Amino acid sequence: MLRRAGHSLGSRLCQRQGQLEPAVQGLKPSFAVAEEAVEGARDASTLLVKQRMKSVANIGKITKAMKMVAASKMRSAQVNTMNSRGIAEPLLKLLGDLPDAQGKKNVYVPITSDKGLCGGINTTVCKYTRASIKAEDGEDKEHSIVVLGEKGRSQLQRDLRASIHSTVADTGKVRVTFAQAAAIADGINTTEFDVARLIFNRFHSAISYKPTIATVLSPDSLEKEAEAGGLLDQYEIEGPDRAELLQNLSEFNLASTLYNALMENNCSEQASRMAAMESSTKNAEEMLGKLTLTYNRTRQATITTELIEIISGATALAG
Amino acid sequence: MTYNKYAGLCADMLRAALKEPAKTKAKAREAIYYRSAVWENGQPTKQVITDITEGTSGKLS
Repeated sequence: MLRRAGHSLGSRLCQRQGQLEPAVQGLKPSFAVAEEAVEGARDASTLLVKQRMKSVANIGKITKAMKMVAASKMRSAQVNTMNSRGIAEPLLKLLGDLPDAQGKKNVYVPITSDKGLCGGINTTVCKYTRASIKAEDGEDKEHSIVVLGEKGRSQLQRDLRASIHSTVADTGKVRVTFAQAAAIADGINTTEFDVARLIFNRFHSAISYKPTIATVLSPDSLEKEAEAGGLLDQYEIEGPDRAELLQNLSEFNLASTLYNALMENNCSEQASRMAAMESSTKNAEEMLGKLTLTYNRTRQATITTELIEIISGATALAG
Repeated sequence: MTYNKYAGLCADMLRAALKEPAKTKAKAREAIYYRSAVWENGQPTKQVITDITEGTSGKLS
């Protein structure tokens, strides 16, 4: 094919010396099909790379935008989170942190997000939930799970389906408020637990959000701990309403701890999403750089091949 | 009537008693919206949307 092309090219060269372009153009009608087939094959690889470059650049733009949205959401959530700590901390000081409290009925409340693309926080919460259930497992111990968030539900329903008591979702759809946390807490109370464990990500800073387990006790467990010399024993609780007072305290404790946990997890989710989108943008840029190099190399190679064909045709004709 | 419900009703009444600029800000904190489902034998039963976006003020139950 090359020899035939060179022949016709050569004949035209003889007629018009030194004018390469018209000769090449003149080549087209005679060997139109062959030429176009070769040209199409050359363009196909560059076209593919170009398409890929366009899509990778778009992805980079989207992830960059998502990162900025998450950063701004995190900033406003941080303020609310710090404020919510003021509700949960006094109860912690009053009742003490009791991670190794024992009880017959244990309820686990993993708090996860509804939306994805937020890094590994939901997986770590589910991992801690499973580990916690395993650690507390014993004879005559009952476990049940109240899952908050769609991501946790889809992960935990794979192997802990039988233990799930209820699921809650769309907590962040309108707004996370104390009233909402109180309503959900009343729902958790219907399980009549002895010990409730809330598993969530506590927000420390934009790069540090650690999984935490907050323990909330029922009034009976509180009594037991107080008798065993817990912090609550420092206070004199007089009167016939002792049981009712402890009941109210326990309910309020669950609601405030849950509210704090929801806010902290929300803030951690935004921070984690920011980090995930940042690494995603960086990867996209890196990929784009590599693709650009490949594209340029392919483009230059095709031009060089064309030149070689033309020149070798000309030399074949001359020699 | 749990303590949480009681405290919530008191808070709603207090919010209703506020004066204007603080009132609208506080009213935003009254909203309750979430979707829940109770599970039985590893299967979710009906989904219930709890939507009390106007708060529980005035409803003593």
